[in-house]
Amino acid sequence: MSDKKQIYIRRRIEAVAGLLVLGLLLLVVRAVDLQWLQSERLSNLAEKQRYREYTALAPRGSIFDSKGRILAESVEIPSIAAMADEVPAERMGELASALGVSKKRVQRKLGKRTGFVWLARQVTPSVAERVMALNIPGVRKEKGWRRYHPLGPETGHLLGFVGIDGNGLEGVELAWDSSLTGESGLRQVRRDARGHSLPDGAWLREPVPGKPISLTIDATIQSIAYAALSEGVRSQNAKGGSVVVMRPKDGAILAMASWPGYNPNNFRHAKPSEWRNRAVTDVFEPGSTLKPFSVAAAIASGKWKADSIVYCEKGAMRVADYTIKDDHPEGWLDLTGVIVKSSNIGVAKLALDIGADPLHEMLRKAGFGQKSAIGLSGESPGIVLPLERWGPVETANIAFGQGIAVTPLQLAAAFSVLANGGMYVAPKLFADHLSTTEELNHRVIPAEVGRQVIEMLEYATTEDGTGSKAVPIGYRVAGKTGTAQKPNARGGYSRNKYNAVFAGFAPVENPELAIVVMVDEPQKSIYGGQVAAPVFRHVAESVLPYLGVAASGDLREGWQTVEAVGERPAFTADSLYGMSMREARFFAAQRGLRLHVHGSGWVSRQKPANALALNQGDALEVWLNE
Amino acid sequence: MMSTWARPWVLVPVVAGVLSAGQIWASHLRYELSLENQQLNKERQETLKETSTLRLELANLTRPERLRKLAQEELGMGPPKPMQVVHP
Repeated sequence: MSDKKQIYIRRRIEAVAGLLVLGLLLLVVRAVDLQWLQSERLSNLAEKQRYREYTALAPRGSIFDSKGRILAESVEIPSIAAMADEVPAERMGELASALGVSKKRVQRKLGKRTGFVWLARQVTPSVAERVMALNIPGVRKEKGWRRYHPLGPETGHLLGFVGIDGNGLEGVELAWDSSLTGESGLRQVRRDARGHSLPDGAWLREPVPGKPISLTIDATIQSIAYAALSEGVRSQNAKGGSVVVMRPKDGAILAMASWPGYNPNNFRHAKPSEWRNRAVTDVFEPGSTLKPFSVAAAIASGKWKADSIVYCEKGAMRVADYTIKDDHPEGWLDLTGVIVKSSNIGVAKLALDIGADPLHEMLRKAGFGQKSAIGLSGESPGIVLPLERWGPVETANIAFGQGIAVTPLQLAAAFSVLANGGMYVAPKLFADHLSTTEELNHRVIPAEVGRQVIEMLEYATTEDGTGSKAVPIGYRVAGKTGTAQKPNARGGYSRNKYNAVFAGFAPVENPELAIVVMVDEPQKSIYGGQVAAPVFRHVAESVLPYLGVAASGDLREGWQTVEAVGERPAFTADSLYGMSMREARFFAAQRGLRLHVHGSGWVSRQKPANALALNQGDALEVWLNE
Repeated sequence: MMSTWARPWVLVPVVAGVLSAGQIWASHLRYELSLENQQLNKERQETLKETSTLRLELANLTRPERLRKLAQEELGMGPPKPMQVVHP
């Protein structure tokens, strides 16, 4: 081989080697570029290709009644969305048809827009399947939750409702929104080349489901209360009304209903003014239902006794420049008579005698003028004037329930005080609070005074009283009617607009229910005894057997006894021997005697012996034995 | 004297082949399990969803107002009188 040829071969080898070295060098440069300089960006791109993140929606907590029945539940439901710029214009017609809306509406939503657009929120699964079967580019199905309240209008005001984005907007749903709302989770999964998820996924953020809550409400009692109220309101062509049913012993709210109702599953069809829970947001003047508290304050002051008598001025009494009137003019009445006959003048005199301070203090302790600890949003504290503004007129007026405003819930809690023998037990709606709010309980009235007022209230529901229509056969009821003129915009009282109220509890011997019924602007009758008392009876006679409180067979005969007493053959006698306490009281009230009673049962001794010789205002003392 | 199959030049490819086959089988198994896992998760979600819907349906069908209406209109029942409630 010649030298020339050898040199040529070497040059070729060197050239190839040089090219190889250059190639290797370029590879090294590229490797450095990819592995070092672009490492982060490329890694991110690879990660995005291999990993995918899913949002896992957390359901809202359910709401249960006291027996574990569902009052509110969230159900997964599809929604249809689209990436606006990806949907072909020529397929909008069939998309609209599948969604059941006009083509124009779909075009309006998608036209001239880019990115994510909701086409239809919370559609039925069949609509979602129909839309997805069309396989239109850019259209997708999204999961969401819809809230259902199976009892509908019956729990509408109480539970409120949830907006389309899952936020509580009214009632319990709003008040406990933070607890009921869950936190959505984020899960990352690795995908293979075919897009299938591999099993080594990890939660970037675990979903936290909303916490379920249990209320003290009983769905059956709620339904009964709502039905009774709607019947009562409709029969009176009234504007509206509220019922609160409370268990006095522990303050559990068993039912809270308002009328007119609305369906929370379709809340947009009702006016916003109809959404509010009137039992806690609306205030009214309680009228005569406040009298038991005035009488209790008078007895608790020590200046008055249950059998003290008061002159009711034959129907009109002047206080400063204001005249207080009674619907039924009365003369001398004992305190039971004042309650039974519902004398404004009687309680006004008691209040003026004991002064503003004790009455104000009693009303404050009974929960008026302040929000309860029930926790519902929009609750009104009611209106109780500050003590410095209580002149004689205000004191007299407030004593019979004018110039003070309360909510139905406050009135129920206050009557529970009487049912509990003078102890205030805070109303509760949340089952967990039943054992945790005992520090709010306090004594309002001495137990003995409470017992005396209960007797008076029971008497107010006999045939002699205004609340006889509240009593279901077989049960003893203590309660008070109220008929209050509604205030007008000019600062006075309307001539033809009234609230009819009945508040009471049953059975008297061991109260299981405190019930307040308020009917707003009844048209056929304005009186609490005619309008609200029958609603009370309807609720009590349905709920008491349901709670396991048996009716007493003896009480059927009881009514006949009262009628016999009404004929008064015994009162022609000169002695009270053998009379019941009720008969003795009637005897004394009829003659304007001051009656002092000892013991219970039937009269076995009296002083003086000849009662017929006594004059009005004289004292008569009787001893009763079982 | 070493048998033919035990010689390194035969053993190494055989072991490598077995290991590769094992790797492929394990990968396939993992893939199958992944699919099964996804399917089971989906079924679980569907069951939870159905349970929730059924609970709601039950609550709807047993709501007191509906039962009262059925009892009164279809069965001719009415609220009991106090004396008819022997053991409430």
